Amino acid sequence: MSDAVADRPKPIVSRFDPRFEVTLYRHVGVAGSHTLPYYREHGGYEAAKRALTTSPSAVIDEVKTSGLRGRGGAGFPTGIKWSFMPPADERQRFIVCNADESEPGSFKDRYFMEDDPHQVIEGMIIAGFAIGATRGVLYVRGEYYLAYERLREAIAACHAEGILGRGVLGSSFDFDIILHRGAGAYICGEETALMNSFEGLRANPRLKPPFPAQAGVYGLPSTINNVETFASVVHIMAKGGAWYAAMGTDDSKGTKLYQVSGPVARPGVYELPMGATFRELIFDLAGGPTMPAKAFIPGGSSTPMLPWTDETLDLPMDYGSMAKAGTMLGTGGVIVIPEAKCMVDAIYNIVRFYAHESCGKCTPCREGVATWLPKMYQKLLAGLGTREDLVVMEDMVRNMRGTAFCPLADACAMPVQASFKYFRHEYEHLVDHGEPLHARRDWWSA
Amino acid sequence: MKVTVNDVEVDLAPGTSAIDAVFAAGYDVPYFCSQEYMSPVGACRMCLAKVGAPRKDRDGNWILDDETGERTIFAFPALLATCTSALSEGMVIDTLSEEVKHAQNGMIEFTLINHPLDCPVCDKGGACELQDRSYEYGSGRSRFEFTKRHQEKHHPLSDLITLDRERCIHCKRCVRYFEEVPGDEVLDFIDRGGHTYIGTVEHGLPSNFTGNITDICPVGALLDATSRFRGRNWEYDHTASVSLDDASGSAVVVDARTGRIERIKAGLHPEVNKSWIDDGIRFGHEYTADPERITRPLLRKDGELVEVPWPEAAAFVAERLKEFSGKDVGVCIRADATLEEGVAALALAEHLGTGQVDHAPRYGPTVMPPAQATLQELAVSDAIFVVGDVSEEVPAVDLRIKDALRGVTPPPLLPHGVPIADLRLKERMPRKREILCVAAPYRVDLMRHAGTVARYDVGGEETLFRGLIAIAEGGSADERVLGMTLAAAKAFVDRLRAAKKAVIVTGGFVLSSQAAADAAERFARAVGARQLVLGPMANAYGLEAIGVLPSHARYDYASMVAGGAKALLISNLDPAADPAVAERLAESRLLVVHDMFMTATARLAHVVLPAKSGFEKDGTVVNLEGRFMPVRAAPVDAGEAVDVTGLVRELGLAFGVRIEGRSVRSARRSLRKTLGTDLEELTGLGAFVALPRRRVAVSVAARPGVRGRALRVPTMVRQEYLLRNPHLLATLGGPALRLHPDDARTRALSHDDEVTVRVDGVPRRLRVYVTDAMPSGVVSVPALPDAPAGPADVDLDGIVVERRRLEVA
Repeated sequence: MSDAVADRPKPIVSRFDPRFEVTLYRHVGVAGSHTLPYYREHGGYEAAKRALTTSPSAVIDEVKTSGLRGRGGAGFPTGIKWSFMPPADERQRFIVCNADESEPGSFKDRYFMEDDPHQVIEGMIIAGFAIGATRGVLYVRGEYYLAYERLREAIAACHAEGILGRGVLGSSFDFDIILHRGAGAYICGEETALMNSFEGLRANPRLKPPFPAQAGVYGLPSTINNVETFASVVHIMAKGGAWYAAMGTDDSKGTKLYQVSGPVARPGVYELPMGATFRELIFDLAGGPTMPAKAFIPGGSSTPMLPWTDETLDLPMDYGSMAKAGTMLGTGGVIVIPEAKCMVDAIYNIVRFYAHESCGKCTPCREGVATWLPKMYQKLLAGLGTREDLVVMEDMVRNMRGTAFCPLADACAMPVQASFKYFRHEYEHLVDHGEPLHARRDWWSA
Repeated sequence: MKVTVNDVEVDLAPGTSAIDAVFAAGYDVPYFCSQEYMSPVGACRMCLAKVGAPRKDRDGNWILDDETGERTIFAFPALLATCTSALSEGMVIDTLSEEVKHAQNGMIEFTLINHPLDCPVCDKGGACELQDRSYEYGSGRSRFEFTKRHQEKHHPLSDLITLDRERCIHCKRCVRYFEEVPGDEVLDFIDRGGHTYIGTVEHGLPSNFTGNITDICPVGALLDATSRFRGRNWEYDHTASVSLDDASGSAVVVDARTGRIERIKAGLHPEVNKSWIDDGIRFGHEYTADPERITRPLLRKDGELVEVPWPEAAAFVAERLKEFSGKDVGVCIRADATLEEGVAALALAEHLGTGQVDHAPRYGPTVMPPAQATLQELAVSDAIFVVGDVSEEVPAVDLRIKDALRGVTPPPLLPHGVPIADLRLKERMPRKREILCVAAPYRVDLMRHAGTVARYDVGGEETLFRGLIAIAEGGSADERVLGMTLAAAKAFVDRLRAAKKAVIVTGGFVLSSQAAADAAERFARAVGARQLVLGPMANAYGLEAIGVLPSHARYDYASMVAGGAKALLISNLDPAADPAVAERLAESRLLVVHDMFMTATARLAHVVLPAKSGFEKDGTVVNLEGRFMPVRAAPVDAGEAVDVTGLVRELGLAFGVRIEGRSVRSARRSLRKTLGTDLEELTGLGAFVALPRRRVAVSVAARPGVRGRALRVPTMVRQEYLLRNPHLLATLGGPALRLHPDDARTRALSHDDEVTVRVDGVPRRLRVYVTDAMPSGVVSVPALPDAPAGPADVDLDGIVVERRRLEVA
């Protein structure tokens, strides 16, 4: 038994592993890569063709083998999600692509759609085949206009070439995609709010259960995945689930896109195998911080920040390790926070975002996130806060955690709680002295 | 399944929500957004509780605790909103721990930060869920020190409902209500986050059921405009009664203050109206406090009606009645009189020795179908055929039809009553439109929800049913007669026949022709459907059942007023609105009118006796499904007004005899003999009492041949009192002459013009309502008690425009 373990090849957990190759983002940044001829020249739609010759259950099994987990933030195993679909009946089924990427710090899906839209479409065809959906819904964030244009062109090109429509790629499988632009609400990234918005309703999250597999778009069986998940499926079908599972750690397989923003030399999107460390991302790829840093947010603005220490920087970026460290991998959007930035101000920036995006459906979010919390931050930053205010804020945030209808209130509460955990002294300095520990400064003209 | 709430174990059906388990166990948990008969949404987050449940391992065995050997309870990581959580076997719910209390306290604090706390001037104060819950679960102080959100305080959503946007706590009950219950999506949230408010696209709430949102609003945000600022909740006398507005027998709560009715709220009757009433019932009470109401008996002296004491008026009537032989006297009561009043009228007629006794409005055909459906059966029906406009005729039936379309059976009652959160109900449920077919001579509101729609010709009910019978017998029928394609008709007849619980609903249009009513009954038999017949008024069923009917067709109401009776006692009817009848009545030797207002008939009367409204009397009515329901008197100052039992008591005193039915108790003693049931023991929910089915042997006298393409249509509001109900009048603009735009153009009429037009010879002042719901060439006028729904003759050529619509330059 121990021999077998020893024989198993070491999983790929670093970009510097010679076995690692960039797959998801291999075309991004190449001129003309968004066109169908370019995509087909580079082996495009071969994976879909292969998938269509097998059976839906074979595709789902392959995805299960790969260990792919949803890349939208929650990390739910994709193959298992697909197998939740009820047995086929006469009802229309939908495969929905959540391209409403709006989390501050996340910008990976955008470049897929701008530079490699066919990869997303191919992934949707495969997923649609797997779950028996002949209709795809691609809900793209309203602000992503270039992405929308490129997707529209790509879908038109696919229609012309017989890739979408009746008999996809010469098979007997029919599939078409409805491209829908959002109108600029972050809450539409929540899967059920997205479906409401797509149906033309007010974008409030729906009650679960029923989950989308039972009652999704128009109350019909639906499966919803993130853009990156669909792109990953293409490569899983092309190279096999085992190839994918060879990368990453025990609970997090494959390759993933990480984004770095904040004061680093080369902010951007980097593809790494799961389990690579923050140090590799921030220092080796992004070139390290350009000014002293005190913390970083590991996975988009809603995830609790981590202090800037050797231990945290050496944490592997996978679901399990993040959970152990008391935070989440989220979308993999790392934000580096410099030493000289007032933490209260930085968190207020995040709070303001969530306050603006609260849909108003449930009490803790409407009254806490959208009304009270930002007012408290304004009071603090105006130099009028007291120590009692900090107690009130902590208690208020505790009341927001885990009580709201959807995760938006948690998304706001978690960074606030983390800031209190690691940087309470900055809050205390602000209320004691009436001015922040790190003075306000102009970050842009420097 | 067994679950534990704090220390109490309860056994409830699978699918029950956790909040219902908490209440069933006798504990309390606060909630604002859940509402009986509506989908749970989990928006207010008040009902949070600590919930845990045992789990099974891969082999399907419960995971047991190593030490105790009991099932291990795995707590959910966060507090759960109990309203949206379904029970699972062995679930443990904790509502008392510090953690739960802290969260509930926090939610109250959040809810109150933007609430104005203007309880001292709020109409909901004292009956406010937020107020109660804040006392019970709040900390009593607020840590919110910023300016509260300021929004509109007096936003008129319609002429009947005023919205205070600052008080709104966004529970979404009203928004959900409109989508889920009447299916009229007229209200929604606007804007988002802390700026969210409810509103409409345009002014007004185009639905027949808007008032219910004032009942379900947990705060004082949505208020009934008829009662706004008119009293505090603890000052009201609440009387649980039954509405006499239509034949549904809807439960209502009458709130009166200092002898005046201030508002009507929906009562809860799980098998009749659930907790909903229509706007006609809710807002149509203002006439009872009209200053022109007759409160003392009036006796004609020297040609003038002057107020006299009751004994004088009664003595006068008794003295004069001696002049007539029995058969010359006629007695007629209105069809919303109670059973007890019916007994009194019958007893009086018997005392006078006359067979000329009747109730009106009454159609020739019976309102007691051989295979009677109940409203509960309608709500679970799998095929419904409606002829006519039920949404106006008996709106409660409309809502029960919509229950059937949702396909969710009425919830079983729990120890604490109707489930607070019925998890089977969802927002935006798909409706089974295909089970409903609506036929009418014009477009009616319910057609929006129907899978099959038929528009037949005016007066074509008989031929419609004959056509359908032919189809049911394997034959064919003319599509013009059916008002729909033959294929559609065939498909629906097949559906009716295949259905296990098919119901056919017919109203005044069918009742107005004996042949049509017979055909409807034959068709129901042919397809094996039960029938629900919408009687013309609240107690048409009961009065027919106890036989308040003439002994011969030539003694019916129409004949009485046409000169058949030399002396007449008329209760709450106004036959003299017809000038031809008025001429005859003016010649009658004795005319006694029992009414609330100085009607055209009352003006001709020798004696006018003050009548009670339907809110002021005790009694019993039988609704359209044959359910006996108790009517209870609200404490209203109606002067010396009496109901028919009181009238008979006064006359009996003057005659010097004890007439049966001289009081409600006396009438009930008499009814106990005939029915075998003591109506004194009737509970608020009413009861079905076995009735000998009485085939009406006497028909109404045929009206002179009506050949016009016009209709008297049933309306939700009571037209006889509409002008005395200012709020309803403002909403509706007045009794409507509805016609097609083409007809309006031809006759140079425009919307909102006021006209006088002769309807069956009776001049009526109406407001022109131009709508494409009417087919070209067909006009409709509202029905009245003296002119119930059915085909009519409207003299459009003789139309007189009284006032043109106000033109805005």
